[in-house]
Amino acid sequence: MIINHPLLGPRDAAEFVYLGDASLINRPDSATSNAAEQFYEYLYLRDNVAGEMRELWYHEQGDRSWLVVTRNTLTHEISNVELARDVARAQGRNR
Amino acid sequence: MAELTLKAQTPLRGYSNRFGDTRLSELSDTAIYSIGLALETAPALKAIKNSLGTDWPEPGKSASSTDGVYRLLGLQADQVFVLFSAATASDGQSQQLPNLGQNTYTTDQSDSWAGLYIEGLSAVAALERICPIDLHSSVFEIGRVTRTSMEHLAVIILHEAENRYLLLSPTSSAQSFLHALETSLQNVIPIPIDN
Repeated sequence: MIINHPLLGPRDAAEFVYLGDASLINRPDSATSNAAEQFYEYLYLRDNVAGEMRELWYHEQGDRSWLVVTRNTLTHEISNVELARDVARAQGRNR
Repeated sequence: MAELTLKAQTPLRGYSNRFGDTRLSELSDTAIYSIGLALETAPALKAIKNSLGTDWPEPGKSASSTDGVYRLLGLQADQVFVLFSAATASDGQSQQLPNLGQNTYTTDQSDSWAGLYIEGLSAVAALERICPIDLHSSVFEIGRVTRTSMEHLAVIILHEAENRYLLLSPTSSAQSFLHALETSLQNVIPIPIDN
């Protein structure tokens, strides 16, 4: 499987480590009143998609960047690759 | 107590060997520093330009100061490695990285990396068997740099000149990395024909 890194171009999947669902970017605020419930959902409840899924991959044997990879779990086709940093900033985070 | 004099040694003890038309030799007398950018990038980039005499290279590219003293390897969006001569001058002082101010994080990594030059006509043939990156000049031009793995060992590759590559790999697994390169070179060097 080849992952088309936004900065470095096509790279072999062997250089990457897989983490899982990209929703892990959205860590809940621990100061809110229902933080325990939000963290329960954040940590334990996952969609197990048969089809297109957004996932976090880490380029460990490369530039050490986190990527959000949109991959079809049935065909392994990769339709989009973004830097996780850009995804987080687009959602209003400052870094 | 006995007077002990310790002499610094490189990870591969100054290795140098020829395989047919290609030479494998250890990098020596070179300091390696990493520079990371803090969130405030503008003052950091200015300090680097003023102190090191070169612009910040994009990931995958390298840059050299105009006087050729500092060589920057762009490894990440916010991190570079700096290579410069660590040979001790006649006054006994070795060169240091200038102070780049509070908006950068610098770390001396000189003792963490073993460096090997591979130079010769069979360099690409030997590397392409163990490297997932296409290193041919048409794709990986001179001056390009990248980080990847060979035989599961981390490596930073700099395409320094035609048929000449600098490879940096962690000191702790340097012997295994050398063995991988030696083996690959032995497998690709042309066999001389006697008649």
